[in-house]
Amino acid sequence: MAPIDRIPEDDWTDQDLLTKDEAGERLDVEITAVTGELDRLRAAGIGPLEQDEAGLLTRRLEAMQWVRASLRA
Amino acid sequence: MPLQPWMKLISVDDHLIEHPRVWQDRLPTKYKEIGPRIVEQPLGEGQPNAQMWVYEDRIYPYIGLNAVAGKKPEEYGLEPLRYDDMIPGCYDPKARLADMDIDGVEAMMCFPSFPRFCGTVFLEAEDKELALACVQAYNDFVLDEWCAAGPGRLIPIVILPLWDAQAAVREIHRTAAKGAKGISFPDLPHALGLPSVHTDYWDPVFSAVEETGMPLCQHFGSGGASAIPQIAPDAPFAVMINLMGTNSMHATADWVFSGALHKHPKLKIGLSEGGVGWIPYIIERADYVWRKHRFYQNINQEVRPSELFKKHFHGCFIEDDFGVANRHIIGVDRITWECDYPHSDSFWPASRKRAAEAFENVPDDEVHQIVELNARRLYNLPAPAEKPAAAGVVS
Repeated sequence: MAPIDRIPEDDWTDQDLLTKDEAGERLDVEITAVTGELDRLRAAGIGPLEQDEAGLLTRRLEAMQWVRASLRA
Repeated sequence: MPLQPWMKLISVDDHLIEHPRVWQDRLPTKYKEIGPRIVEQPLGEGQPNAQMWVYEDRIYPYIGLNAVAGKKPEEYGLEPLRYDDMIPGCYDPKARLADMDIDGVEAMMCFPSFPRFCGTVFLEAEDKELALACVQAYNDFVLDEWCAAGPGRLIPIVILPLWDAQAAVREIHRTAAKGAKGISFPDLPHALGLPSVHTDYWDPVFSAVEETGMPLCQHFGSGGASAIPQIAPDAPFAVMINLMGTNSMHATADWVFSGALHKHPKLKIGLSEGGVGWIPYIIERADYVWRKHRFYQNINQEVRPSELFKKHFHGCFIEDDFGVANRHIIGVDRITWECDYPHSDSFWPASRKRAAEAFENVPDDEVHQIVELNARRLYNLPAPAEKPAAAGVVS
């Protein structure tokens, strides 16, 4: 069984997958950004509109933290 | 804020990595030993085994390799070589949906990986009966397992037995009946040794495609490594990456000067990952060529290429500021959006944020067309949910 050295008709790139490390780094950046947004909202005082926005941001933040933790596991 | 919270992002170009049992779970018993399966391949002392696909007697060392083209095998090794090395969203649809939620993406359509973008790995098969069973097994995996994990969010694109037009017709109807929404088709079939779109080989296939209403999705590069552009062997890989979109230009030129779109007036074509900024140039050029040179060639004498483009084509982009700026020349209704997860080109987990930046100066109604409505029309997806009353009128 001979390995194929170069795939003769490959699709050019093209897995070029996000690695776990890069995905983790990107999540860290986004977690920091969303945490900052939430802090700013809370500091400005939360009315009904801001409450909706804060709720969405909080859910997204928690989801990102969960995925980030799973990448470390 | 042109990208409104109620607009649903529909990405028309993403990718999945097939899990190790996709074919082993579905092939007839007689084919399991030679059908695609994952084997453990020792890499050397102190290194974990790599996992590789084996199909018939060929090894395909690319379950998760980054940028495999242009690399020699000895350069492999810093890349995901095992499923455990990948982010789970590559191969687990539930993890994919969680990653889409984080990314603000409502729905996506995924191209294959091991079979290549449109199943051309099965062209290499010794046993074409097995190859057909492999195509059907992949399509059943996409329809019954991958997309079933997220109905309405993971949109099924299927592949065809490209070496047999009649078998392809049967597979189109079989998968349409099971809920397929698009068909992956090589951008440059002749570069794979298949008949070009200028022949009549594909007529029964195109007729079946018209009958089912599904678009042909042509991912750039699906015509294989021997397709244009012809890159100098010693050129940096950047040259190839830079020129990838020219494959979509070539495919478009083939279509508009072939008879296929005249014989198949309902054919719809989605050009994937090639960007859209090039469209005004190549269409203007095609009209010029048609105007000056049609008289002595066997090409349609009545319909300008630009009319064919407006009727049959959609492009998509992930990052194309020039294309967005020229959207009215391209046609706002011809443009769709993609996020290319899980490739490193994607902006995950900030695709929605990046889209909001890209559309900063675009009116709401045009943004809505590009990120959602055009894809719903092209792929026959359900109508969008009603927008909030306070959101105003969007055409």
